Formats: sequence, C-alpha cells, structure tokens
Amino acid sequence: MIRIEGLTILFESFKIINLNIQIEEGGFHFLLGPTGSGKTLILESIMGLHKPKTGRIWIGDKEVQGLPPELRGISYVPQDLALFPHLKVRENILFGIRARDLDMKSYEEHVHALVEVMKVDHLLDRYPANLSGGEKKRVALLRALAPKPKLLLLDEPLSGLDPSIKVDIQHLLKSLHASFHPTTLSVTHDFEEAFFLGDGTTIFIDGRVEQVGKRDDVFLRPTSKKVAQFLGARNLYRAKVLKNEESSQRLILGVNGLQFSIPMSLYREKMEVGREVDLFIRPEEVMIIREGKLVKDSLKQNIIEGRILDITDKERYHTVYFQTTEGRIFFEISIPNYAFRNLDLSTGKMVRIALREESLWVMA
Amino acid sequence: MEDHEEMSFRYTMIGAAVGIFIFYVGLILSLFYFVGGKGFWEALLSPSTLFSIRLSLIAATLATFFAVLVGLPSAYALSRFEFMGKRILDTFLEIPMIISPIALGAAFLIFFNTPLGELIQNKGIFFVFEVPGIILAQFATIAGLTTRLMKASLDEISPRFEAVARSLGSSPWQAFYRITLPLSFRGLLASVILSWAKAFGEFGATVTLAGAMPRKTETMPIAIFTALASANIDKAIVLILILVAFGLLILYSVRLTGKRYRYD
Repeated sequence: MIRIEGLTILFESFKIINLNIQIEEGGFHFLLGPTGSGKTLILESIMGLHKPKTGRIWIGDKEVQGLPPELRGISYVPQDLALFPHLKVRENILFGIRARDLDMKSYEEHVHALVEVMKVDHLLDRYPANLSGGEKKRVALLRALAPKPKLLLLDEPLSGLDPSIKVDIQHLLKSLHASFHPTTLSVTHDFEEAFFLGDGTTIFIDGRVEQVGKRDDVFLRPTSKKVAQFLGARNLYRAKVLKNEESSQRLILGVNGLQFSIPMSLYREKMEVGREVDLFIRPEEVMIIREGKLVKDSLKQNIIEGRILDITDKERYHTVYFQTTEGRIFFEISIPNYAFRNLDLSTGKMVRIALREESLWVMA
Repeated sequence: MEDHEEMSFRYTMIGAAVGIFIFYVGLILSLFYFVGGKGFWEALLSPSTLFSIRLSLIAATLATFFAVLVGLPSAYALSRFEFMGKRILDTFLEIPMIISPIALGAAFLIFFNTPLGELIQNKGIFFVFEVPGIILAQFATIAGLTTRLMKASLDEISPRFEAVARSLGSSPWQAFYRITLPLSFRGLLASVILSWAKAFGEFGATVTLAGAMPRKTETMPIAIFTALASANIDKAIVLILILVAFGLLILYSVRLTGKRYRYD
C-alpha cells in the first residue's frame, strides 16, 4: 500500500495544499487535474526530486520521505519519456537493474516476460532516435518496470500519440497492469484515460483535492459542480427541490418549470424543499425512446418530450442536441453509432427522451 | 519589380557575408608575399620559435585543464541548481570578457604586491615574470568563458534524463557521469577546444603578468610582438602563419565535434 499524507508543495507559482492519496497494492490510481495544475511537480515530489513543504510518504510500512530518489524504489515515466539517447534500447531497459547493482539473473525472466508483452524484442539493438512514438512509450514503460519498482509513476502516459497508437498503448497499459500488477500512480488531464485505466481517482483542481473515490463514483457522482464541469459534464442544471415525497421516497426537482423525479435513496443528505441544487446527467445516460418500443420501469419516471436541434457525428458515437418542449431545456445526448442507426433521427424531429433515474445526480 | 527587389535584397546580404570572408582570407594571403626567403626558413627552425610553440602548447593546455576543472562543476551548478547569489555569480563570469586583458594582468601584478600575494609567492609558487604566471593569466582570461560555454552545453540536456536515472537507482554522481556527461560530450568538447584556442592566443594579460622574456616566458603571441618590435618580419610571419594554422585546425575540430557522436 502506498500512502501520501498531507503533501503540501509551494514552488514558484504552484501551490498544492494537503494532498492525500492512498493506493492499494497493485492498484492503478489516477490523479486527474487540469493542465498546468502542478501534477508533474507532485510526481517529482513523491519521487524525491523536490522537497515538499510538508507531507509524508509511505511505501508499505516504510517511510521514504527522508530518502534520496535512488533509494525510494519508485520508477518514473515522464511525459517526454527521457529515453537515454546514447544507449540502445537494451541498455535503456537494463539501466535500472545495473544502476541498483541487482543480480541480473534473478531479473532475467521478468525482463523477458516484459519484452514479450511489450513486443519490443526486435528493437533491442536500436537507439531511441530510430523508434516510433508508440515504440518509445513501450520502451520507457519497460525500462521503468524492469527493476520491479514498488511504485510506478506515470506522467500523462498517453499524451502526444496519434489516436490509433493511443488506443493500442491504452490497451497495452491495461493488459500490462493486469499481468504484472505494478502499483501505479498516473497523472493526467484526460478523464477518458483515467476512466478506461484507473480503479481509483483523485480529482485535483486549483491545488486542492476536490474528490477521491472509485472510478464510477467520481465519474457518475461528482460531489461538486467544479468536479462535474472538469469532467466535461454537459447536462448540468440549477434545480430547486419542489417536493420531498416521504411516502414514495422520491424527490421532485424543478428546472424551468420542468419536473424531475429522483429516488431519495441515492443521497445521504436530506434535501429540504426550497433548496437549490445542481442536477447532472451524463450525455451517454440519456436515452431517446424508439417509437412503439416499451419503456423499462426505471425509465418511466422521467420521460420528456422535445425537438432535435442538431446532430453531429463523432468518431464512435453521435451527439444529439435536444430541447425540451416544456421549459426549453437543452440536453446533449451521446448515442453509439450502432444505436443511432436504428433510431431514424433527424434535425427538427419531435422525440421523447428518458432519463435513467439512477443516473440523475444531485449536488448540493 | 518585386522579383528584382527580392534579388537585390538577397545579393546585398550574401555580398556582405562574402565580403567578410574575402577580408580575412586576403589578410592571410598577404602574408605569403614574404614567405619562402632564406630568413623565413631560418626563423621557422630557430630554437626560439620552437621554444615559443612548445611553451604556448603546454601553457594553454594546463590553463585549459584548470579552467575545466573549476568550470565544469560551476557550469553544472549554474545550469541545474538555484542558489543565493547565482545571478551575481553568473554576471561575474563575464568580467574577463569585458575588461581589457592588460587590466586583468595589471590587477594580478598589483595583487602579488599585497601581503597575501607576497605570501603566496614567497611560500608557494612564483608567478610574476615566471611560467606559472602565463598559466595563471591564461586561466583568468578563459575560466569565465569555459564555464559559460559548458553551461550552455549542459542547458541543452534536459534535467529529466537525470531525474529518470535517479529514479532508476543512480546516485547524483552516477547520473552525471553515466547520462549528463556523455549526452553533453560534444558541446563540452567544443567548449574545451574553444577555451584552449582562446588561451593559446592570449597576449595582454600574459605579457603584463609574465613579461616577454625570450626563451622563458615568450609565448607565440608575445614572440610575434617582440619580433615586430625588433623588425624581424620573417619571424613574425612564421609565427602568425603557425597561429593561423592552429586556428584553422581548431575550427575544423569544433566542426567535427558537431558531426560525431550521433546516436542512430
């Protein structure tokens, strides 16, 4: 288990206050924050290159805060990878084992297995200058994992790659983690990356932790408008609690005269009538009802009629821009391409949408 | 019309560049007007000329050695660390570049007349009008330059390489000699060569501190000066041509450092 407690860093214009992160053995944790929020600085402080103002770091039950970087057992893959250009791929990969004076024989099997998974055996005698972007990433990851670090730090691991290679590396990272279970802390501003790879996520905005939690909790149930906005929340509304129906255990919220019904069980906090809250639903959780098709019970509570204003075609899905007839509220709806083709939608068409009630999220 | 203007612009600029080239080459070629006479060969093979060449080579090499010894760690510190007084220190490296070499040499003469200077000379090494004075004067002239040039080479190497090497288990010393040193080697080598060339051609500070004693402290530039002063044109030309030859060799080797050590 990795524990980072009360890490406060004041460096040039960066101010990072009281950062706490816990990562289970073999976990893949993401520190997610906007570009320029000091994420690299956090990694360098964990590694021991910067002295934080306060804070303690444990790797297992050993506190490493007072140790120099070379004694912490932390491997680091920077954003620019920093493959040693004067060393061949093989020498790059073995650098950590040699620098630590480890017994090469006992690492042989591990390194072979890594080379195989990473598919770099044909690159071993090349210099980094002769590798493609994707190959460089693979070698950098391999170099970091070869000495079996206790913690792997990744700085924006998928940045600067062509989209197709990015998908490859993303899958590679996933299978790599599944096979070798390195305890990993990755920083990124790309929430899709964090969603795909991470099991835990810390949202970090303006130098402070805004939310910590399991992947789905953070993505589907942000605790504040700030987090929701950072995560690219599209359908975010200021709503008022209209009714608190104790009998049916439901909350009725109003936005511009339009009513939404939500089960109370989703919230620990009591929502008294008259209170203003933020209502949020992810675009992929909004469904367009196919004409003549039966609607599931969980969708029946929130069915809204309106008109399609526009449709845009993205790579794997379509985005439908929809406006409700009552209240004139806009919704952005993401529909996978295969589903879109079955729906026969066009601009100007009147349709009904349904909101899955478990996906409606209220932030007080 | 525009084409014409573009052409004239282009030729004006290139013309200036070619002009500078002709200016220097013409100057060097003019020396050959006197080359080949009996006096020329005598001067070339005379013991005092050979002495000057040897003294210059040894002094410049030692001065460069000491300048690198101090300059490399200083350059690293200036390139990588933040510390109090860094800006002032950095500015001071330019002192030998902006003050006249004669002033620098004179400052040394004055220093060796202070109690501390006298103590150094009496208990340690004698500098004034001695060979160590040549090395000291050359060192003083080039140390700032060496540090500056080396800092520029180190600045080009991202500290991230060292960061990764550290995370992989290297101590700061190991990261320096396994990663930073080989990566900046070309630039550092060019810095050494240019510093050596600057020391090799140094005149003002050397002549002021070490004097111009034949077969004792007479380096090549000093020998040129004394040859001219005694109207020995043949000797002056021989020495100038040797300096030019060394200069061209140096420029060529600096170019070579740019070509080698590419990793692909």
